[in-house]
Amino acid sequence: METIVTILTNAWSVLVFPGLLFAVVVGLLLAGIDRKILARMQKRKGPPILQPTYDFFKLMGKETIIPHAANRKAFLIAPVLGFVSLVVLMLFIPVFGYSPFSTNGDLIIVLYLLTIPAVALIVGGSASGSPYAGIGISREMVTMMAYELPLVVVLLTVAKKVGGESLVFSLGEIGDWQAANGLLISHWALIPAAIAMLLVIPAEVGTQPFDVAEAETEICEGTLVEYSGAPLAVFKLNTAIKMFVMTSLFTVLFFGGIDTGYIALNAVILVAICSVLTVVCMTLAHAICARLKIEHLFKFYWTVVTALAAISLILVWLGL
Amino acid sequence: MIIVNYVVAVLLLVLGLYAVCTQKNLIKVVLGLGIIDYGINLLIVSVGFNDGGTAPIYTMSDLLNGVASSFFVDPVPQALTLTSIVIGACVDAMALALVIMIYRKYKTINSDEVRRIRG
Amino acid sequence: MFSFLTLDFVKHFPVVAVMGLFLCAFLVEIFGSKNKIIRNTITLIAAFGAFALITALIKPVLIDGNILAYWMGNWEPVEGYAIGIGYEIDALNMFFALLVVTTILLAAIYSIKYMARDHHLGHYYTLFLMLSGSVLGLVLTGDIFNMFVMIEIMTFASVALTAFRNNKNGALEAGFKYLIVGSIGSSMTLAGIALLYAQCHTLNMAQISAALANGLTPTTVLAFALMFAGFGVKSYLVPFHAPAADAYMTAPTSISMVFSGMVNKAGVYGMIRLVYIIFRAMDLPALQLMLATFGTVTMFVGVTMALAQHDFKRLLAFHSISQIGYVITAIGLATVLGLEAGLFHAMNHTLFKGLLFLTAGAVLYATGTTDLDKLGGLAKKMPKTAICFLIGAFSISGLPPFNGFASKWMIYQATYQKAAETGNFAYAFVTIVALVVSVMTLASFIKVTQAVFFGQLPKHLEDTKEVPLSMRVPMWIMSALCILSGVFYGFVEKFLLAPAAKAVLSVTNYIDKMMGEGTAAAAGVVDYAANDVVLTLWNPVLWLVLFAIVLIAVCIVILTGDKTRGRVLAKTETDSEDGKYATFFGGEQSTHSHVAGSDLFWGFKHDFKGYFKFIQGMHSGVVNDYALYAVVGAALITVLMFVFVH
Repeated sequence: METIVTILTNAWSVLVFPGLLFAVVVGLLLAGIDRKILARMQKRKGPPILQPTYDFFKLMGKETIIPHAANRKAFLIAPVLGFVSLVVLMLFIPVFGYSPFSTNGDLIIVLYLLTIPAVALIVGGSASGSPYAGIGISREMVTMMAYELPLVVVLLTVAKKVGGESLVFSLGEIGDWQAANGLLISHWALIPAAIAMLLVIPAEVGTQPFDVAEAETEICEGTLVEYSGAPLAVFKLNTAIKMFVMTSLFTVLFFGGIDTGYIALNAVILVAICSVLTVVCMTLAHAICARLKIEHLFKFYWTVVTALAAISLILVWLGL
Repeated sequence: MIIVNYVVAVLLLVLGLYAVCTQKNLIKVVLGLGIIDYGINLLIVSVGFNDGGTAPIYTMSDLLNGVASSFFVDPVPQALTLTSIVIGACVDAMALALVIMIYRKYKTINSDEVRRIRG
Repeated sequence: MFSFLTLDFVKHFPVVAVMGLFLCAFLVEIFGSKNKIIRNTITLIAAFGAFALITALIKPVLIDGNILAYWMGNWEPVEGYAIGIGYEIDALNMFFALLVVTTILLAAIYSIKYMARDHHLGHYYTLFLMLSGSVLGLVLTGDIFNMFVMIEIMTFASVALTAFRNNKNGALEAGFKYLIVGSIGSSMTLAGIALLYAQCHTLNMAQISAALANGLTPTTVLAFALMFAGFGVKSYLVPFHAPAADAYMTAPTSISMVFSGMVNKAGVYGMIRLVYIIFRAMDLPALQLMLATFGTVTMFVGVTMALAQHDFKRLLAFHSISQIGYVITAIGLATVLGLEAGLFHAMNHTLFKGLLFLTAGAVLYATGTTDLDKLGGLAKKMPKTAICFLIGAFSISGLPPFNGFASKWMIYQATYQKAAETGNFAYAFVTIVALVVSVMTLASFIKVTQAVFFGQLPKHLEDTKEVPLSMRVPMWIMSALCILSGVFYGFVEKFLLAPAAKAVLSVTNYIDKMMGEGTAAAAGVVDYAANDVVLTLWNPVLWLVLFAIVLIAVCIVILTGDKTRGRVLAKTETDSEDGKYATFFGGEQSTHSHVAGSDLFWGFKHDFKGYFKFIQGMHSGVVNDYALYAVVGAALITVLMFVFVH
């Protein structure tokens, strides 16, 4: 009986909340908000908020074409791989205290799971055999190396702040600590790290000005150039979920510990914070900045952003 | 007297390393390797040396009659040296064989030109 | 069932395994130089025999926790002095011996088909078995001079095998450089042994350890430094690494796998034995930091050099160096978690790097080249090799749920824990470097994936065929082990790592078992403090089940529904007239256009062009330079030892 309950709880977590369904719905919602606000910023009316959802279902119904040069299996499995890892990722990010799969080392799991969608994109692009995709994966990879360094420093900063003399690599404990000691964003030593994290989010998701890997106008969407139909839909969905995952990771790290006692209310607050963050770090940057060149992007992340994160790390190590 | 042994051993070692690091002729590099070996062999022999000690060879009657002096040269380092000499000779032979092969293939034994793998 | 395997009986097994390999090496030369079947039979018997003999020791040593002491010719210690050569097998030796025999067995199976096109195979198998025997002897022996002899045989056989395909470009010079730097390393070890003998008058490790308990004199510190450098050469730490990369690249691939699977592990083993047991010096924070620093530099230099490579095997070679950096870093932390992480990563490195070398060998066998700029699209022609490669690549990059993830995770946790406990920022920096190096590793494997297995197939590779079954079997075994040890890391930790780490930390046990009870206490040797390890990383089984559920669910969603969807897909007819299935070329006729390996990471290389120019210039290929690095490295270690350890 107990095993059945466990299995059902797990199935609920994986398939509905905070897994598959929740991630998909909120992800597509955030993507819609992003497009709508972007349009308003550019004095356009913009599509309805549900437009990404419509796009997704439309693409699902289209024919899937696989080019001769492509490696069929890898081409088809890649988007699913990215999708699965994102859903699993959602299970590790606590929604204000509710985390079904929390362990004492989930910071590293999250870090590694975050690379899998990028790897999936790269493998898919690589398997498509297109030279545009070849350039795309090269850029995607350099982007990944670029944002990974500041991301690592930010995560270690938070771990040190929360852990002190002991080791805390657990997002759940980071949330609990904030419930007891105030939100991390309110500790001034961590503000540079928070800014660095905000700058990491658009590169991780791949929105302008850091979308060098897709760059529709120069390399025809790079990695995605050969994709069509359902796999393309899944890739688009991955991008939307990534928005949600990254913003909620930010929320956990810096706004964790808000607990109203009701999971549903917590989820609503989470979504609200995520929407604000989406607008701040993705939509705004998209509306203001033009696309960077890949070597500028790399330099930007390894100098400015890393320096911001490192300042926080050093301050925290000094005990501030 | 023993201090001279150690000084010479270190000198040989340094000389050998110097040869290996600076000589461009591969045969000289191998010679340097040989010199390092000699330095170390000298070091090992010196380690076991006892000034005025006897050779560690006794007959059973010596031992039973208590004739044998307990002050003798340590035999273990000498055995080690023998092993080390054999190994050194093998390494040198192998290195020289390689140099010959390299000369056949590259038509030179200048180390600046024997570098197809780099970077 | 195995009641005949009493302790008195099995204690002969290690020696028999080593002797058997050496004996068969000569038998191959005598009987098998002409006849293929005899040759292969002898080799396989030797490899299987060694494997069986060592695995028979798992129960007494790893599970029951015995330490086997074996005196050659029954020359037991007299009045506390070891006179004969002793073999002492504790859980640490056992752990490395298991890695060695697994590698030997798989390499032997792989060699049969892989080497079949070469000539003088009698010599090849002789050298191969000599190498195997020497490495196995090295990790099992309890006598320091015996260890030196094994090192020399190992170097000798390695050099000969590196230069075995001497018609291949660069094989000879790689062998020569390896010989020169390797000999400098062994000479330093020998000098260290001589100095130790001068101080302790014994060659038995346990007895030396007991004798050194009273503190280090200048002579023993010098001996320590020299031996440290010697084992540094054998485990290819930076700055001793350069000739190793050449050797990995030009040796036959089965031998490259042996190099990365066990030869550099022998160096790592020697290093652990040296710093933890013989000198028992890992309590010193300076020494811990020194090892961690060497490890960190090694992993960084290795991975950046790997990013710059154009040759499949040379790239893998630099990754080997980089991964050993992880191992050494973790071992240098001197915590239980660090030791377990280091040993786990050493084991995983044997598995996934062996696997990757085997796939490289398969590519070489099928296409005749390992040049990344000449390959492409092979996943279509060699799908099984491609899957094995991807498993290996994901493992080494540390993607969950493969084994590299578990061990790297333990390394991060151990380093950051060390940083938090000691308050030393250097260890936090080590964690950051380790994490970034991991991403770079991933990047360079993506480069290989793109350049070799995906992308477009060049015209001249159209008739490439999948490699024969006997080459695929070792690859499958290694792939399976990569996944199993990643998912069931808990079992690995419990049955392999924990006993081995415990053996490393209990120095007194090691001394007492060899030299008689009470020796350690009389000499004043104490064990390292051992704290408990809490390994509740994740529940991998649950996670894997989840992964499967979601994967199946999504596959159903995608592949069912509309019949045409997911079915249309690639047409079999090759009418390139139908533009629908051609690759997009901006509306023009599609031609062969492959983005090869060296074109990737453009932005990254551009931003670091100064660094890359410097580091590639350092690997100049001149033997004098490499020897100089070795000497400078040894001098540096000596200075550091005298400043910090003494």
